[in-house]
Amino acid sequence: MKHLTASLLAALLPPCLLAAEPAAIPRMESGVPDFTGTWAGPGFQHTGSEVDNPTAALYDDKRMAPFQPGKAETFIRSTGDVRLDDPTAVCLPNGLTRQIASPYPQQWVQTDNELVILYEYMHFFRHIPLGEPGRAHGPLFEDTYMGDSIGWFEGDTLVIDTIGLKEWLLDSFHPAAGGSRWHSAATRVIERLTPTDGDNVRYEVTIDDPATFTAPWTQPWAMQRKKTWKLFEFICEDNNRCEAGVCQAADVQLDDQ
Amino acid sequence: MSPSRSLLLAGLALLPAFGAEAHHSFAAEYDANQPVAVTGTVSKVEWRNPHIWFYVDVKDASGKTVTWGFSGGAPGMLMRRGISPEALKPGDTIVVEGFRARDGSANASGGKVTFADGRSVFTASAEDVVPK
Repeated sequence: MKHLTASLLAALLPPCLLAAEPAAIPRMESGVPDFTGTWAGPGFQHTGSEVDNPTAALYDDKRMAPFQPGKAETFIRSTGDVRLDDPTAVCLPNGLTRQIASPYPQQWVQTDNELVILYEYMHFFRHIPLGEPGRAHGPLFEDTYMGDSIGWFEGDTLVIDTIGLKEWLLDSFHPAAGGSRWHSAATRVIERLTPTDGDNVRYEVTIDDPATFTAPWTQPWAMQRKKTWKLFEFICEDNNRCEAGVCQAADVQLDDQ
Repeated sequence: MSPSRSLLLAGLALLPAFGAEAHHSFAAEYDANQPVAVTGTVSKVEWRNPHIWFYVDVKDASGKTVTWGFSGGAPGMLMRRGISPEALKPGDTIVVEGFRARDGSANASGGKVTFADGRSVFTASAEDVVPK
């Protein structure tokens, strides 16, 4: 009878009112979630459809821990030099903490012992060895824009631990007076990714920057799998007509004036 | 309905909710205190990274034609918003709203395009200031 009622209800209700069964979480043969696919990261307003809205995500200052003494004054830096106030304006990298929140897609390729993330924005990539929880990082040669990442699973949660980051932009926040927010070279980033169904992932980013903040703090975000998306080529230097803030006339403008 | 038209209409439903923070290069290149709005004919579209550029022939008060250049989001960014390369074509009559280049040239950030039939799309980069 219960089954019959459900069938009748399904027949009578418009299709749009019937909640679709959530897709199962894809898994590797070992049983851990499989993150392989193309994702709209935190830098999108997720719609559940294949048309999504890129909207750069910012770290919420209300979630940040108190500053270390004297650091509130240097967290936002404004020099008037665009190369320092926002290096991406001259096609320098956005760096890991800003890349995570980038309004461009990312493609993840997972095997049993490694994960590769390909970011559309500026063609950055991450190679993340997967292994035992809490193990040590390999030798580090220099601080870099994307740092050194290792990963492991805690149940269904993928943990990615990153150190070796150079002092760089935290995100794409720019106050009206100019400048950007910066993290220090002491920053450790811990990403915790937990699938909530087949296409959605809870994406928590912990910023542990003891040179800037008195404690680690966590930003909760989400990402959504997009089955029909693929990465596009992105060459920052390709057609920048206002490099360093000076706009150049295009041929079509020169012809007419 | 053509696929490009479908994509365009899908994009209309996704009006962006931008913050007041400017794009990486917006603050350096454009003045959020100098809004511009022009009506003219599209003469050229450069569907290229890192920002699309489109050019609009506009008649000024003396009857002289001035070609304005407008920058928008990256091609991929606009595609994910539902705006395809076919959405904006040479010959289209459009209204563009944006913010003028700081160097005073006939260039601007082109955040919003309205077509002759009243349809509007937001062509700005996801981190740009956009017209209200």
